[in-house]
Amino acid sequence: MTDTESDHDPEPTTDGGEDVRADGTGIVAPDDETPTWRERKERSQGLSQLTYEYFERARREDQDLRTESTYVERDVLAFPTWPHELIRNLSITFFFVGMIIFLSATLPPHIAAPADPSTTPAIILPDWYLYWSFGLLKLGPLNPELAILGGEKLLADRTYGVLANVVVVGFISMVPFLNKGAARRPVEQPFWAAVGVFGVTFAATISILSIKNLVAPIIDTHLLFDLTFLLPFVAGFVAYGLLKTMREGYMFSLNRRYYRLRPPK
Amino acid sequence: MADEFAKGLLVLTGGILSWMVLSGWYTTESFEEGQLVAEVTVSQIDIYATIALSLREGLFWFAILGTLTFWVLIPAAREARTMWANRDSSSE
Repeated sequence: MTDTESDHDPEPTTDGGEDVRADGTGIVAPDDETPTWRERKERSQGLSQLTYEYFERARREDQDLRTESTYVERDVLAFPTWPHELIRNLSITFFFVGMIIFLSATLPPHIAAPADPSTTPAIILPDWYLYWSFGLLKLGPLNPELAILGGEKLLADRTYGVLANVVVVGFISMVPFLNKGAARRPVEQPFWAAVGVFGVTFAATISILSIKNLVAPIIDTHLLFDLTFLLPFVAGFVAYGLLKTMREGYMFSLNRRYYRLRPPK
Repeated sequence: MADEFAKGLLVLTGGILSWMVLSGWYTTESFEEGQLVAEVTVSQIDIYATIALSLREGLFWFAILGTLTFWVLIPAAREARTMWANRDSSSE
């Protein structure tokens, strides 16, 4: 039946003139530059999509220009280790080694008396980068006194502080699942940028709260406790508002840069 | 522009590093209190201490004023000159 049809009426062919195979053997495996379906999905809305489309368009026009030109591209994947990489790395290494030698020669550190194991120091603090966790142990005033228990607290203050650590670490580990990170600039997703500003500010304020006995001469302890929880919200709202108003300017400069690079013909 | 930034950064870090060394020698009580900014700790101020202390004072202002010069004054002067030139050309 097919033979008789193709004899007098040739079927319209596709671009390549090849037969369309419907059995799946013609599917080309994606190379490195092909966006995955996840990437396509993540860039499917809002400013991140606009940014992606602009850069994709620019990349394609660059590619067209390269295809048209007679310049022969060579496959340069990286710079050679010697001398380029090693000279740079060695100069950085020598700089820091020299700085260590310079400082140890000019400012030899004072060596304190050996620690006395039989007495406890007046101030006990963790290393500075753990102050936030130390501050979360000092949330006693937030621990509710339940009337149903006759003004008793359900949890001891120390248990409450440890649970606060669990809550904060739990939230931090949840963030990557809540926001997949399609945005590359804060203006593209003001809300999540504001969440980040909130977190950073809270880390700073809770760290200061952890050394409240040391900063007591500078700031009242009750005021410090209130500011610890108010300032992060203030900073977060301010960041959200700022980034929200910056979106239009961002789109404007994106347009301007685009047309300056590739003026319309 | 980037060049001026590097010069300003060099002035700032180099000046403060030298200031820190001289302060560690002459105005540091101990490394636990009064570090770098204490009163002069040497008992008698001889010629070396005089030189070092005046150098320390000079380096402090060199770091601040030098950085301000490269990061603020020179770029501002350039901007102003460009603006002035544009104003002249546009008015004609």
